[in-house]
Amino acid sequence: MLFNVSIIALMCITFFLEEFVPAVEIAQNARLFLAPVFFFCAAVAVPFPTMLLLAFMTGFMWDARYAQIMSEDSAMEQLAQVSGVSGYAGFSQGLSGGDLGFGHSIILFGVLGCLMQGIRPLFKKGRWELPVFMVGFVTIVWLLVQFIVITFLRGNFFFPQEVWLKMVSDTLMAMLASPLIYLVLHTLARATNYEIKYEGLRYRFDGS
Amino acid sequence: MKTLNLIALLLFVAACVAVMMLDTPTTQAVQSKVMAIFAPFVHASATVENTTTRAISAEIDPKELLRETVALRLKVQKLTILSQRHDELLEENNKLRNMVGYRERSPFKDLIAARVIKRSASTWWNSMIIDKGSADGIAPDRAVLTDVGLVGKTGRVSPHVSEVILLTDELCRVAAVIEGTREKGILSGERGALELTPDLRLRFLSRNAPIAPGTNVISSGDGGVFPSRLLLGRVKLFENKDISGEAVVETAVDFSKLEDVFIVGSSASTP
Repeated sequence: MLFNVSIIALMCITFFLEEFVPAVEIAQNARLFLAPVFFFCAAVAVPFPTMLLLAFMTGFMWDARYAQIMSEDSAMEQLAQVSGVSGYAGFSQGLSGGDLGFGHSIILFGVLGCLMQGIRPLFKKGRWELPVFMVGFVTIVWLLVQFIVITFLRGNFFFPQEVWLKMVSDTLMAMLASPLIYLVLHTLARATNYEIKYEGLRYRFDGS
Repeated sequence: MKTLNLIALLLFVAACVAVMMLDTPTTQAVQSKVMAIFAPFVHASATVENTTTRAISAEIDPKELLRETVALRLKVQKLTILSQRHDELLEENNKLRNMVGYRERSPFKDLIAARVIKRSASTWWNSMIIDKGSADGIAPDRAVLTDVGLVGKTGRVSPHVSEVILLTDELCRVAAVIEGTREKGILSGERGALELTPDLRLRFLSRNAPIAPGTNVISSGDGGVFPSRLLLGRVKLFENKDISGEAVVETAVDFSKLEDVFIVGSSASTP
């Protein structure tokens, strides 16, 4: 219980620390997304209900802090009245929306957290190789899904080289940071006498 | 699956649906509140970032420094420092004079001056944070400009800081016209253009439009968000697409050197 509460508190702190993480200009302003990476790491260490709570918190805070929500009477809608722009009709749909809605990150973090839950037995044994690799995998999936959804909603598929460079750099930084986060989680688990147990799929004998 | 896990999953789905059903004003209010909570940390991180950048960028060669220390006398050093300080003040004075001059020349009489604190740490959006907010009269969707041209528009606003969606972001679309012609189009950034000063795309022009490289692109004022006749950039290249023409536009404002900006206080009006 104490471990779970500590994780939730740490999760909140990472959002504030995130503000202090600098961007790497040479890698298309790639950066370590501390709060999401902490969530991905913590998702291995906590039970399923706590993981879902963390996913909700992370997704909600992420969208509240970073998602661009355009007001309905903003430029998009007002530009829809622009006349004299050739080929406008096909573009009007793209103008009236075309971006991720508030709350999409919650679902995304929930799904990716479920993936991380699958490697809890390895984490319990103290094996960090696969969990670190999985953090990289879910980070790049998270970024890729976001970009694909934006691309899909805005109407044309467009994948410049810079996007891949940024995603790979973000992922590498996430993978570099994850062992440190796992170390913190293990230390915290020891300090709070918490045992990381796998409670997912289990064989049950029904007696017949 | 255990009962507790199932209940947790159902609660999670219900919470997701509830959040996604929130209307735009509510989500914007939530974002403003969250931004207000984060504002002190944004300020603190900007201070740390600036201090670090200054410390790193000071290229001091110890040997060179030693030679200088030996060679120069104390009095000369003092004079050098004084001279440097004088130059800095002169530069700052000139900059402020330009800003005051622009403010007086500007057709917008309710410009709010703001300082750029830092770039935002989001994933796919080009935005930056300024040190003024709703307490200073800033509201969402207000044009942000410099004495050179348009920078973007305000996004979410909290009492003491605001986010500016840059012209280089694909979300910031401006109705634009090519100076000296009747060619109108919509100017926006490109998805994935994550460098500091990417080119813009002016879409929906006429095919075979007589547009020469170097021609100014200015805002048309259509839509009401951005005032008319604001310089947006200069045409680099014109291309004929399937059904319309498209121009690659170099931004007028150097986004890598943005320090001070102005926000049009009341909603945009044609000057």
